[in-house]
Amino acid sequence: MMHRSTPTLLMLSALLLSGLAAAAPKKSPTYTSLGVAAGKAGGNYTLALGDSPQSFMYYGVIDNNLGLVAQQLFDGLVEFNLDTYKIEPALAESWTISPDGKVYTFKLRQGVKWSDGEAFNADDVVFTYQQLVANPEARAGDAGNFVIDGKKVEIDKVDANTVRFTLPRPSPAFLLQQRYFIMPQHQLGKFKGAEVNNAWPTNTPPAEIVGTGPFKLQSYTPGQKVGLVKNPNYWKTDAAGTKLPYLNSLDFLIIRDPQAQVASFLAGNIDQLNVTGAQFPDLKQKEVAGAAFKVIRSTALFGSPPFVAYNFDAKDPALAKLFSDTRFRKAMQLAVNRPRIIDTVYNGLASLPGHGVAPVNKAFYVNTTAQLGKFDLAAAGKALDALGIKDTDGDGVRNVSKGKNLEIDLTYGTDSSVYPPMATILQNDFKQLGVKVNLKGILSSKLLSTGLSGDYEMILHAFGDQPDPELRKPIWQPGGSLYYWHRSLQPAVDGQTPNIAKMQPWEKQIYDIFDEASTTTAAAKRKALYARWQLLFAQYLPVTPIAKPENIAAISNKYGNYIYNLGVIPGYNPVPLVYQK
Amino acid sequence: MLTYTLRRILGMLPTLLIISAVCFTVIKLQPGSFTDQYLEDPRFTKETVAAITRQLGLDQPAIVQYGRWLWGVVTRLDFGFSFASNAPVITQIGERLGWTVFVALLTLLLSWLVAVPLGIYTAFNRNGLAASVANFLGYVGLAIPDFLVALLLVSLTLRLGSSNVGGLFSPAMIDAPWSWARVGDLLAHLWIPVLAVGLEGVAGLMRQMRASMLDVLSQDYVRTARAKGAAQQTVIWRHAVRNAINPLISLAGLSLPTLISGTIVISIVMNLPTIGPLLYESLLNKDQYTALTLLMLSAVLLLIGNLLADLALAWADPRVRYS
Repeated sequence: MMHRSTPTLLMLSALLLSGLAAAAPKKSPTYTSLGVAAGKAGGNYTLALGDSPQSFMYYGVIDNNLGLVAQQLFDGLVEFNLDTYKIEPALAESWTISPDGKVYTFKLRQGVKWSDGEAFNADDVVFTYQQLVANPEARAGDAGNFVIDGKKVEIDKVDANTVRFTLPRPSPAFLLQQRYFIMPQHQLGKFKGAEVNNAWPTNTPPAEIVGTGPFKLQSYTPGQKVGLVKNPNYWKTDAAGTKLPYLNSLDFLIIRDPQAQVASFLAGNIDQLNVTGAQFPDLKQKEVAGAAFKVIRSTALFGSPPFVAYNFDAKDPALAKLFSDTRFRKAMQLAVNRPRIIDTVYNGLASLPGHGVAPVNKAFYVNTTAQLGKFDLAAAGKALDALGIKDTDGDGVRNVSKGKNLEIDLTYGTDSSVYPPMATILQNDFKQLGVKVNLKGILSSKLLSTGLSGDYEMILHAFGDQPDPELRKPIWQPGGSLYYWHRSLQPAVDGQTPNIAKMQPWEKQIYDIFDEASTTTAAAKRKALYARWQLLFAQYLPVTPIAKPENIAAISNKYGNYIYNLGVIPGYNPVPLVYQK
Repeated sequence: MLTYTLRRILGMLPTLLIISAVCFTVIKLQPGSFTDQYLEDPRFTKETVAAITRQLGLDQPAIVQYGRWLWGVVTRLDFGFSFASNAPVITQIGERLGWTVFVALLTLLLSWLVAVPLGIYTAFNRNGLAASVANFLGYVGLAIPDFLVALLLVSLTLRLGSSNVGGLFSPAMIDAPWSWARVGDLLAHLWIPVLAVGLEGVAGLMRQMRASMLDVLSQDYVRTARAKGAAQQTVIWRHAVRNAINPLISLAGLSLPTLISGTIVISIVMNLPTIGPLLYESLLNKDQYTALTLLMLSAVLLLIGNLLADLALAWADPRVRYS
């Protein structure tokens, strides 16, 4: 039949072929294990936003609400597999890493268009990295990650579709970090230095806010709603090759109060809502009674497991000495009633915690459950007796020294559904042990700054889990900028070597592990290193983890393909797969 | 009268200057810093803290920060910029001012329209059943915080199957053009906050009006008016109410700042796009120029409210004269 093809047909097929070669959309994995099926195009999906976005410039303001919206407007070079959390191509179609682990070359996806029709290319990527992400003046950039050992990461355009990053030394978590949202140079190129913070204020015409994401901005009504519509140029399809997103539009209703969000969900004004264990029974009851929604539990990787930290550098020298003693922290762990906390605070919707790594994280988690011990006040009492902490004056409270009671201030967040009941449970159990706990409530948003200031004795707090421990290095490496329970290890100047001489032997070991793992490229070796760290963590308890809460969400029955997402996790966006039944 | 008004307006300037200095000092004395709220973000490093502090001018001494703000206000009517959004404070306030004034004025107006007649009625029919019921409701209204009333009303509407549980519009109506359907939708949402905030106002005003009326009713001239055979309506409106209304005029002047601050909690609970939450957030996060400007706006409204009340008093009561 070939010989009968007319020139027009030939030309057409040639055009088609070149079109196919140029536009290479990404096929989404099937995700059958997550219950994903082929969806239906059309429909609208409404989510809640905790407050008005402060700007539309993702790198100009640190703002969780903007992050939630930006997640739908922009993409990074790579993204997570929604099921395995493995890194997959996004705006980069493929990449190579040089054998020495220092040079990363990204081949960009061909034929990707911005939502205004302009072509996406290497200039956009270089612009985003140089002027936004690695710009020290950009308030929400990440310049710190682009200076390694005091040397800058070099970012070059190789050709129109290739970008190269040259690192001063190998950094195995580098690829994982390249989920930074790429921004359009043709819209933002004119902003330099600190000016980038002023780009795209909330009164910018929506048409100027251009992205590659599944949706584009349609309207913004201050204090009420952010309206997005489907981006017809989106580069991803479902497993069958149908263009994503399925939805026609995505709305964010601005609702500040969590209770008001629940009311709006029950009224059907919003279609999906992440809730806490405390809100679970009420919603589940309604679901069982026939309400048109489902409440879903998922043991996700992300999410913040709470812990108790004792200040090694407490102002009171007697307490500081006690808190620095591993035997004391281990004794007190026996008085932490984890099952009761999981039961009453989380309504059973939590599990025993890992040590710095979520149990569901198959790549790194090591089972440390045995080291958590069992709640046993008598054993805790004996351990304290052995330390010489006894009630010498018969007033029911143990004494640190002669005439001085063991009395600890516990700092916790009052505006939370979990910290206050947890603090009370700890207070009661510790009291039976003869340790007096005074509760000191502050705003949850001030917990970290209080921790960093060192102005506390014992604190209830939480840090989010991440897929790779390297990403949480400032928290768990002794001397790191967020390792606040032993602040005296932190270097005088940020970025310099911490005070190694003051480290306890196990802290030095953990310190070395993180240093070694951050330059080791072999995956198996890194896994082994982090396994040792988790065991050291469980054994020496720099902080005492309490529980790993489950993630709970409520979703209207009108929608299919719902996959839990915690919030702003660049590179983890299941919304394009959601469809209206 | 004109001279008096002008003198009062000029007199406001030093007062406002002192108020601004005091407010700024108080904001500065609050512990913590604007950047604290971001610490938990993984992107936030010490370099970022330093860069933001420098960009915002927070590395300057407090007196310089205040001086610059004041200079901007005096020379350019520039009230500084919001740290959170990088936008001028005026734009931030402007985005929300319309709805704030609308909701607050509507509530104020309704509560006055209900409270004043109710106060008069209960004063005249002190021992009647209706008055007792109104008084009881008044007590209840005073005792229950407005946000609780709002929450109860929300849960009631939810139970009745309505979806108007917050905000000013249904999701689909938020960015729709104005139409009768949209006005209807607005009213269907508006009644909860107006009722919740209004109930408290009604209760307070009603009792004030009632007390004031009772004072006047026992005066000789009311008895005289009745004795000379004046109609009941004349006695009420010409003799009693005109004399009893004075304290309420002063009260009205004082209620002007509630346009800004009166709806903070209810705005959060009922999800209204008003200024209240902006003030709350700015105070919490030490967004100093936003907080300062909003506090100043509140102070200006108070001063203006007082002036208007004084002028209205002179107009309503021939015995009051300023010279």
